[in-house]
Amino acid sequence: MPERNTTARPASRIVTWFDHHLYSFVASLGRIARRPWATALTVGVMAVALALPLGLWLVLNNVARFSGDVQRSREISVFLKPEIDVARAQGLATTLRARADIGAVDVRTPAQGLAQLRAQGLGTAIDAVGDNPLPSVLVVTPRGDETLLATSLEHLPEADLVQHDALWRQRLDQWLRFGTRVALVLATLLGLGALLVVGNTVRLDIQARREEIGVLQHLGASDGFIRRPFLYLGAWYGLAAGALALGLLTAAWWALQAPLAELAASYGSRFMLVGVDPVQAAWVLGGATVLGWLGAGIVTGHTLRQTRPTEA
Amino acid sequence: MSVLRFDNVSKQYPGGHVALADVSFEVQPGEMLFVTGHSGAGKSTLLKLIHLAERPSRGAVLFGERNLHKVRGRRVPLHRREVGVVFQDHRLLHDRSVYENVALPLILRGLRRGDIGKRVRSVLERLGLAARERALPSQLSAGEQQRVGIARAMVAEPALLVADEPTGNLDPTLSAEIMALFAALPERGTSVLVASHDLNLVKRMKKRVLVLDHGQLADDIAPEDLADA
Repeated sequence: MPERNTTARPASRIVTWFDHHLYSFVASLGRIARRPWATALTVGVMAVALALPLGLWLVLNNVARFSGDVQRSREISVFLKPEIDVARAQGLATTLRARADIGAVDVRTPAQGLAQLRAQGLGTAIDAVGDNPLPSVLVVTPRGDETLLATSLEHLPEADLVQHDALWRQRLDQWLRFGTRVALVLATLLGLGALLVVGNTVRLDIQARREEIGVLQHLGASDGFIRRPFLYLGAWYGLAAGALALGLLTAAWWALQAPLAELAASYGSRFMLVGVDPVQAAWVLGGATVLGWLGAGIVTGHTLRQTRPTEA
Repeated sequence: MSVLRFDNVSKQYPGGHVALADVSFEVQPGEMLFVTGHSGAGKSTLLKLIHLAERPSRGAVLFGERNLHKVRGRRVPLHRREVGVVFQDHRLLHDRSVYENVALPLILRGLRRGDIGKRVRSVLERLGLAARERALPSQLSAGEQQRVGIARAMVAEPALLVADEPTGNLDPTLSAEIMALFAALPERGTSVLVASHDLNLVKRMKKRVLVLDHGQLADDIAPEDLADA
């Protein structure tokens, strides 16, 4: 380079890096401020695109809780023969607890069973029978394959009847797994949609600023310098869209929570719809911001390769 | 050592059009010269080669000791920061103020904020734009816009400033004013290369003139020979 006298010295690389980011940060905010309606529309579209997979994720979350409830109610009831007394039933329960495929065993004595029936208003009928006709019952919680365990328990010499509704539970599990997979696929597709929305918005912004990009390239701006305001713009879009999506989900949660709780209560369940907690909300905001940044980065990189000047 | 040297430079575009053919010349530090010729003579191509918007098909363009043919990829922006460019249509950023437009080359060079402020204000002062630093380009006259373009090109004190028809859209008075600004730059060590088809203006400036004709360097006229040309 030909030598020139210059009085000013460049700042350190870190200061320059910080200054360039500050410049891009302010420039991106300026672009948003100059086009409030266009920005609102973009953020709105992105928010809906984000709210749908997030909503599905919330549904999954609640289904998983419901599924957990079902898993917990997988107990196998072993009705013992009438001649088995409580002491022998307790002994059998102790033996069973030692097995690896059994998580827990509760003994329900004939007296407890009678008390339960009385509580349900069947006391008069029971009294008419005379002596307590109820057997001892072992309530077994499986640790592994419940079907195999149920078959094994049927072979106990003390067992009179083994009650285990395996089939409908298996079907429910299959439906839940299928629902989970469908929700994940939809979430992925909609997440990709959100990425494309950001990318397309930034692409349009770049098209509108092609002349400016050309000027910057002529002045010696690096691709990084030109790309940075668009990256910030994408990040702002993502952050705002994430916040709006959370707002939409919270509104949906408020709207659905009470009627669903009433519906669950009518079936004797205390199931409550769970919303987004603060940690999850932070992840959503961070993820949406990264998504916006990524979408802008992909499109800007592609467009800059195409617009690298051979002179406008 | 010369600031700029063209060694037997030819440029042929895809399709076969020969824009420059075997052009050789040198520009010395602090020298101001004009490149003139009819439309299509090769003036713009010559400037593009200096600015690395195009590359020669044959020959070498040397900027100081740097062979521009070897400047590739990420080094291209670094080269462009060392050459000031003035466009006929100004090419200002319309949503940035005069100050912000002029500060851009210094921001790109990574100068300290305090130094940027001093330099920008000093240049704006010299070009009579101090009172307009907060104005947007759309609020300026054509002459003022061109002066902002010149301020932007000279603020980084480049070794070489190239201008492509900088007075093309201006009336004679404004054109003379702009040329006077260019003529003052060599005093500060900047070489100036102006492409113009306005022969009367070129003659009035009494500087060295390169005449291009169909891509060939038809004449290289010294200032003292201008009256006879």
